[in-house]
Amino acid sequence: MAYVSVPLYKRTIPQRYGLVGLRCKKCGWINFPPKGVCKNCKESLDFEKVKLSGKGTIYSYTVISAAAAPPEFSKQEKYGGTYVVALVDLDEGPRIVAQLTDCKPGEVKIGMRVKAVLRRIYEDEGVIRYGFKFKPQEEDLNG
Amino acid sequence: MESKVAVVGAGQSKYGESVDKSVKELFLDAYIELINSVDNGLEPREINAVYIGSLGSGGFQLGNLSALMAEYVGLPGVHAVRIENACSSSGFAFIEACLAIMSGMYDVVIAGGVEKMRDVSSLKAKYWLGVSGDTEYERLAGMTFAGLYAIMANRHMHDYGTTREQLSMVAVKNHKNAFLNPKAQFQNKITLEKAMNSPMVAYPLNLFDCCPTTDGASAVLLCKAEIAKKFTDSPVYVAGFGTGTDYLALHDRETITSLKAAVLAAREAYKKAGIKPKDVDVAEVHDCFTIAEIIAYEDLGFCERGEGGKFIEEGLSSMEGEIPVNLSGGLKAKGHPIGATGTGQVYEIFNQLRKTVQKPARQVKDAEIGLTHNVGGSGGTAAVTVFKV
Ligand SMILES: [Zn+2]
Repeated sequence: MAYVSVPLYKRTIPQRYGLVGLRCKKCGWINFPPKGVCKNCKESLDFEKVKLSGKGTIYSYTVISAAAAPPEFSKQEKYGGTYVVALVDLDEGPRIVAQLTDCKPGEVKIGMRVKAVLRRIYEDEGVIRYGFKFKPQEEDLNG
Repeated sequence: MESKVAVVGAGQSKYGESVDKSVKELFLDAYIELINSVDNGLEPREINAVYIGSLGSGGFQLGNLSALMAEYVGLPGVHAVRIENACSSSGFAFIEACLAIMSGMYDVVIAGGVEKMRDVSSLKAKYWLGVSGDTEYERLAGMTFAGLYAIMANRHMHDYGTTREQLSMVAVKNHKNAFLNPKAQFQNKITLEKAMNSPMVAYPLNLFDCCPTTDGASAVLLCKAEIAKKFTDSPVYVAGFGTGTDYLALHDRETITSLKAAVLAAREAYKKAGIKPKDVDVAEVHDCFTIAEIIAYEDLGFCERGEGGKFIEEGLSSMEGEIPVNLSGGLKAKGHPIGATGTGQVYEIFNQLRKTVQKPARQVKDAEIGLTHNVGGSGGTAAVTVFKV
C-alpha cells in the first residue's frame, strides 16, 4: 500500500535532496517542482537546472493532529504527536509545501523565516525516504 | 441563454452508513425515486444514456462502473460512461449529460453518482481520500485533506480576520438544516459551543469543521427542453453552467484563499444564465470543510472577497437569509458520498425550486433561481450550474 512508490520517489531525488529547480530559458521563471511546460510563459520546454538556497518565509501552515496523519506518517506521529506542515515562499520565488522541524507547533507563525534541511521523511516498503523539511532561521530564534 | 435542457426527475438514496446495501443497491434506491418523481411517467426504454460520477468507491469496481449501475437497474445496452473528477464527479457528469443533449445526440439522459466509503477500512480510506490532491509533494509532506483546507483557513483568517467562531457557525447552520432532512447522514442539531470545542484535526480546523465519510447515491433525469412538458408540468430548467480547473497542489496556485476553478466556473455559469450572483434564491455549495463554504460565498460573489465570515455571522446564508445556502445540510451534515455529491445537490435544488422537499419546514419560499457549486479535491476542478423554474 505504498502511496508514493520507490520508483516514483527516485525520479524526484534531485528536487528532494538538492532543491534543484528548472529555470526557463525563455522567460527566466524558476519552476519548482518542475512542470512539463514552463508555468509562467506556458510556451517553453527549454530549461536549465538551478539550485535553490532553501531560504524562505512561511506563507501559511497547519498542525496535523495526533491520529489524523496519513498511514505512512503514523510512526512519526506516534513518537512526536502533532506535526506542522507549511507552505513556504522560497526567496527565489517558488512556493513549496514541507514539514517544519526543530520547533514546536506553538512557535510557528505566518511570516516566520525558515531554511531547508535534509531529513528523514518516512520509511515505507522497507526503504527510508529522505527529503527536505524547514527549520526556523537562527535570527528568529534569537530575536 | 435560452434553456436547452430541463431536469424532470430526481432521486437520492439515504446518505450515511449503509451497512446492508451495496453501491448497486444504493443506486437502485436513487433510480427508483427518480422514476417515481417523473409526474407523467417515464418508460425506461426512453433513456438514451447514463453518466455516473464516482471516485472509485474505495477501489471496489474501478472499471466499467457505469455499465454495472445501468444493467443493475434494468438499462443494459444504454450508452454509459463513468466520470471521475474527484468530489465533483457527478457535478461534471451532470454537465456532460447537458452537453450530450445540447449536441442533439440524446434526448433523455440520466446523470448520477455513487460512492461507498464506509465499507473500506479506515486505513484504506486514509489512502483513498488523499488521492485527489497532489500526491508527489503534498502527500510526501504528511499533508491530509483536512490539512489542505486548514492551511487555506489559516491564511484566510490571517488576511481577512475570519474567526474560529465563524467557521463553527457554518457547522451549526448546516446541522440545523440537516435536522429537517430525513435523507441526511446527521440529523442532530449542535451548539456553537460544542462545534468550537471539538477535537482539533488540522489546526485551525476541528472535527466539526469536517464533513463525514458517507455511503450514498443520487440520480437526476435530464431531457431536451422542448420535450420537458411531456414528463412534467413543472420542469426545472438548466439556465447555465460553467466549469474550471486549477493546479492540483496549493503551492502552485495564484491564491489559496479562493478556489480559482470555482471562480472560473461561476463566472461562466452566471454569464450563460444571464444573471448576477445576487439573483440566486437558493444554493447548494461544496462545504467539505467549513472554510470551504465561507470561501464559496466569496467565489460565487454572494459577498465581497474576505467578507465570507461576516456573511455567515450575519445569518445571510441561513434559511431566513438573503441567499439560503445548504438547506439540505450540505456535505457537512447531509453527508459527502464523493461521487454522488454533485447530483445530490441537484436533487435538493430540483425539489426546492419545485417546492417538493420532504419536510415543508425546510422548503425555501418563492425561489425561482437555484445554484449548485461542486468542487473536486482541494479545488483542482469545479462545476457550477444555475437552475430556474
Ligand atoms: Zn517560461
